[in-house]
Amino acid sequence: MKTPFRVALSAAVIAASGTMVSADTIKVGVIATFSGPFAIYGKQYREAIEVYVAEHGTTAGDHEIEFIYKDVGGVNPDTARALAQELLIRDRVDYLAGFTFTPNALAVAPLIDQSETPTVIFNAATSSINKQSEFYVRTSYTLWQVTEPLARWAWDAGIRTVATTVSDYGPGIDAENAFRTSFTALGGEVVDSVRMPLSTTDFTPFMQRVRDIEPDALYTFLPGGPPTFGFAKTYNENGLAEAGIRFLGTAETEEVNLQGLGDAAIGLTTAYHYSGAHDSDLNRQFSARLAEMFPGSVANWSSVGAYDGTHLIYEMVRAAGSDGPAAIEHAKTLAWESPRGPVEMDPETRTVIQNVYIRQVERDAASGLLVNREQGVIATVGDLGWDR
Amino acid sequence: MTESLTLPLPERLARVPFLAEALLLAIAAAMFFLLPYSLGFLTRVLILMVLVLSIDLLLGFAGIATLGQAAMYGAGAYAAGLFAIHVWADPLAGLVVGAAAGAALALLSGLVLMRAQGLTLIMLTIAVAQICMEIANKARGVTGGSDGLRGIRMDPVLGLFEFDFIGQTGYWYALAVLAAVFLLLRLVTRSAFGLSLRGIHDSPARMTAIGTPVYGRRVAAYALAGAIAGIAGALTAQVTQLVSPEVFAFTLSAEALIMLVLGGTGRLIGGIIGVAIFMTVHHTAAAHDPFNWLFVIGAMVLGVVFFVPGGLVSLPARLRGLMGRAL
Repeated sequence: MKTPFRVALSAAVIAASGTMVSADTIKVGVIATFSGPFAIYGKQYREAIEVYVAEHGTTAGDHEIEFIYKDVGGVNPDTARALAQELLIRDRVDYLAGFTFTPNALAVAPLIDQSETPTVIFNAATSSINKQSEFYVRTSYTLWQVTEPLARWAWDAGIRTVATTVSDYGPGIDAENAFRTSFTALGGEVVDSVRMPLSTTDFTPFMQRVRDIEPDALYTFLPGGPPTFGFAKTYNENGLAEAGIRFLGTAETEEVNLQGLGDAAIGLTTAYHYSGAHDSDLNRQFSARLAEMFPGSVANWSSVGAYDGTHLIYEMVRAAGSDGPAAIEHAKTLAWESPRGPVEMDPETRTVIQNVYIRQVERDAASGLLVNREQGVIATVGDLGWDR
Repeated sequence: MTESLTLPLPERLARVPFLAEALLLAIAAAMFFLLPYSLGFLTRVLILMVLVLSIDLLLGFAGIATLGQAAMYGAGAYAAGLFAIHVWADPLAGLVVGAAAGAALALLSGLVLMRAQGLTLIMLTIAVAQICMEIANKARGVTGGSDGLRGIRMDPVLGLFEFDFIGQTGYWYALAVLAAVFLLLRLVTRSAFGLSLRGIHDSPARMTAIGTPVYGRRVAAYALAGAIAGIAGALTAQVTQLVSPEVFAFTLSAEALIMLVLGGTGRLIGGIIGVAIFMTVHHTAAAHDPFNWLFVIGAMVLGVVFFVPGGLVSLPARLRGLMGRAL
């Protein structure tokens, strides 16, 4: 596996010697969405990386670190693969990072296996990605990681019947399965499972149906942005909150869109690994610096995934330079304090073990803004979806 | 012969058979040596050329407007991918399967679609692609759903050339397929069948009047274009080793159409030039400024549509016209 690549690479190196850079510069290729409807992810990544670089300088150990950004546009595995190829062969990057969508991350698996390139996933949340190559490490989360603790918390809070309403696409269906499996294993009952078309903006019929069934709670999974606005608004307007049907979610109240939800969001309960209102000096410092360097920017889970990912890359470079396998071995031993709280790399799943918090949206008295107020840690967990 | 010698040089050159094609082939070969580190990207360009050629056959020759060619492209990609995983990982066999899948879907849908015209037809082609995408998304057991179909590992091409990391085999393989498709289309468009398509393009009523089975010819053209789009899809599946439901995406159909319009419809070379220019600008602009490159693309398309409505392929003739008037 290793030899043909080394031969090819040395041939490429000889051919490229005219454009060679100082041997001490380690390049990191960031493949993400910088244009189109998902450009917000790329923006959050880049800003978080630049905040980290501003705080820690451009060197790790004896090595200079340089980031190269590539736009993949959206869910686009062909382009992701071609970009990774070009980064590895022409730009000779030693690390890859980014990856918002699962197919894009999966498309580079054969490449990074061959070139032994550590690849840090900032977002893509499907458990099985990391099984495709030893060289993936993930600083975001997996769907199971936040969903199972939520199901357990709901059970402990006395909730016995739940209706699930998810958007009808891959992650939504995964989330539905994760919730149902976890909740029924505890003895709870999922009384109805509604799959809503991805493009729906009118949620009234789904809410009406849930209201008629009268479960103790409603579990939902929606992609961020407009659907969430509509959903939260309909939830309130149809009187589900008054009827005592609790709202259970995960990423729906993420910080970038939170202010846009308005008062309709107050009281929504979610389980997630990062809240902008997390009470720690590091988080306050991170948010403040982000806002200072990029006025108007708000930290959310993708910022913190990129920030921790950059930290991981710096640590790997410091310890192993451009030696991919050694870098991965080193990454498996790391634990650090993140703006989201303490995290630790799980040597088996190569996804961070982290706290999952139960949060409720409320209006902050001091700033007048909506925040995800942490009510407590519900679990400290690794990737619970690894063996499913 | 003497008459042709008195013609101005460009027109004389235009009469040399296969000159433009040979030039393009030489450029393609030169690219391999000039950009040895961007073979992944170049291969992607070649595959898109195959797809755009299939649209040119429909729009440029038969006058069938479509915004759903991704349906056949995606069908070819999934068919080739599944075939490689479950049956046989031979690349050429995969191409045949991809072509068959594309043709079958185009034939089936074409039987209905080719009865429609204009806007209705465009909407229906979009609908077919959307339905396919939904099926790929739902049939998670078979297609892997939105995570994508993975585990495609191809055998060497002809049992000799293994797909390598840098993408050299992939590049030559895609180039060979593109050349074959181009030749085939050249033959088809100059055949009696091709001429009847041009007739249908200009006036379906007259063609009916002289006894051409217009509906049958349109269905046949649609199926042939479907087979070619299926080949493009199969190539993608084999080179990327992953297929996601986005192969059916509307943006792919639309972008391919823009590339064709950019280059010029109705001539096979137009499609090739359009893809080459679009992708080159796309790539350099995106590499230069990954955050705002869409502006450049938009400006280019607007410029061409306003100033060279016939596409870039008509640029020399247009310039000559302008110069002639100026003199």
